[in-house]
Amino acid sequence: MKTLEVVPLARVEGDGGITVTLDGKKVKKVTLDVHEGPRLIEQLVRGMKPEDDVNVVPRICAICTLSHKYAALRGLEKALAIDPPEKAQLTRDLMMLGENVESNSLHTYLLALPDFLGYPSAIAMLNDYGDDVKRALRLKKFANHVMEVTSGRIVHGENPGLGGFGKYPSKKQLSEIALRARELVPDAVRAVELFASFEYPEYPEVDTNFMSVNAPNKRFGLAGDTILISKGKETDAEDYRKLTSERVVPHSFAKRSDYKDKSFAVGSNARLINMGERIEGRAGDLFKEHFSDRWLKNPLFNNLAQAIEMTWALEQMPEATEKIAALEDPKRTEATRDTGSGTGAVEAPRGVLYHHYEVKDGLIEVADIITPTAQNLDDVEVHMKACAERMLADGRGDDELLPALEMIARAYDPCISCATHLVTLKRL
Amino acid sequence: MSSPKIGVYGFTGCAGDQLMILNCENQLVDLFGATEIRSFSMAKSDNHEGELDVAFVEGSISTEEQLEHLKDIRKRAKMLIAIGTCACWGGPQAMKLEEGGFEKRYKGVYGNAKITVSKAFEAQPVDAFVRVELKIPGCPIDKSEFLGAVSKLVAKRHPYLYRFPVCAECKWKENPCILWEGKFCAGPLTKAGCGAVCPSHNMPCVGCWGPTDDLNVGAEYNLLKEKGYGPDEIVQKMKKFGGAGVAKLVKEIKPTAKEKEANK
Repeated sequence: MKTLEVVPLARVEGDGGITVTLDGKKVKKVTLDVHEGPRLIEQLVRGMKPEDDVNVVPRICAICTLSHKYAALRGLEKALAIDPPEKAQLTRDLMMLGENVESNSLHTYLLALPDFLGYPSAIAMLNDYGDDVKRALRLKKFANHVMEVTSGRIVHGENPGLGGFGKYPSKKQLSEIALRARELVPDAVRAVELFASFEYPEYPEVDTNFMSVNAPNKRFGLAGDTILISKGKETDAEDYRKLTSERVVPHSFAKRSDYKDKSFAVGSNARLINMGERIEGRAGDLFKEHFSDRWLKNPLFNNLAQAIEMTWALEQMPEATEKIAALEDPKRTEATRDTGSGTGAVEAPRGVLYHHYEVKDGLIEVADIITPTAQNLDDVEVHMKACAERMLADGRGDDELLPALEMIARAYDPCISCATHLVTLKRL
Repeated sequence: MSSPKIGVYGFTGCAGDQLMILNCENQLVDLFGATEIRSFSMAKSDNHEGELDVAFVEGSISTEEQLEHLKDIRKRAKMLIAIGTCACWGGPQAMKLEEGGFEKRYKGVYGNAKITVSKAFEAQPVDAFVRVELKIPGCPIDKSEFLGAVSKLVAKRHPYLYRFPVCAECKWKENPCILWEGKFCAGPLTKAGCGAVCPSHNMPCVGCWGPTDDLNVGAEYNLLKEKGYGPDEIVQKMKKFGGAGVAKLVKEIKPTAKEKEANK
């Protein structure tokens, strides 16, 4: 018996590793291990007021901070029967577009691209691909600015609250965002061209299932109340437990999810597979040009999907900011009850994120958070195992195998902090 | 002058402080040029674990494996700087430090399942285990405060950090006082450096940078009590981010039996 290890798994957020267990030429097991320590956030927010919960839960993850904030707000607003004003909804949409561009630009250009071009990091690419690194930094900086203007800060902004915002972006800030978003579309398109130009090996290909939040009004979007399943029936987000049956495994502080005993994937690829037809504009054309059946089985295409989605998000911003600017600043809507339950589902950059709350007499009784990376972990392992088996059968050495497995894990854009904090309550 | 050898490490937290380093878009290339980044696994894969001039450590410590790693970093580093509220004070995951109940919360999440990857314990700040030369708090750290500190270190000077509460920054911005309006604001207790960002958005300070130097917990407690907040709620809100730092201070507050009764 022989064990190969990749520890730590670099260029991902959080502390993880990959372990491959071999028995001669046979692959016994491939695991994505989560070393990140547990935080037990869901237990800690029990007994808190909802207003305090929305300060704490975004701290689960710095990259998906606004997705956590928004999912918590959606869940708690349902529980407390708060109907936020239209301007708040639109501003939340804009902050989600900002987070999407921030995360997708960071992952495609700076974390994944070095793999495809054969460099240890984006910094090492500076001499040969300096323009692309600069494109990434421009996109990220702008997206951070959108997050800052809407949420109050680049990371962990507290401006979005229950029932609305503390302060709305000014008309000047909004029109500057619209202008800059238009200017940056070519930088996103360049990422699409790069990721469309690479050869994707067939080794990791396995048919899988894809889940994503169904955005309302038949548009492409990042929040909604039902879940689309590529090989299944549309399901109410309140039934999230049926979609994400959870269990604990020994090699991880992150829990696992499966759907009908099979792995599934969430993320940009899932969103485009389920809703890509709804995209208009340049991004819509790029989707039609590059989408193929291989997306349904090869996780490496998630990088390409992220690049297309980032183009979509930039193209949405001018219209989104115009709508916000046209409305007067409303007051925050107050809670109309202090007892109730609700599930908020949003599309974090790396996939569906659920926040479920039960509130009694104004205090949180139950918090259940299911993160996208936790949902993806089984699927990562399925594809890594298939890849390892086929590469070894092909006589490929360990030196080729390990980087190939790392690329698969990285393609899911795992957020290991998130996955770890993912925790649920066992209700008897 | 040779450039300082730097390592950036992350433990239990959200990785937000490492992300803020990567968010220094305009200065990132200069930063990698002025220093020799030996290890930064969130950003690159060619990492070398040897002697370091400065180790930046993010996150709290919550497993045996992390503790061993931390001790190893300490041995190799001339200077260890805790970055972010989790490393400095324990962060949200340490909000119940010294209250007990960790085992129960752990079971509430993982049940009786056996996790062999490492043994977990309640999260604590870095200085609960090793010597720390400097704490740069923040949730996340502020870009300019971090870059200011790094510039000083490159020039072999000691970094300067704010030693006063968020209220001072709020006054500079001429914001109306949220506490005065009767809302719970942690500004008087919280270390400055964020630019009073929440009060500047008409939202109360949530205390995410942890306790400031020389704070007067008793005065804030009494003020909030006058505004109608119950003792338990005050302590709970104060401990949300300050963890270990506040845990010590709240011991100074002893609600009277009458208050305890009224709070029920």
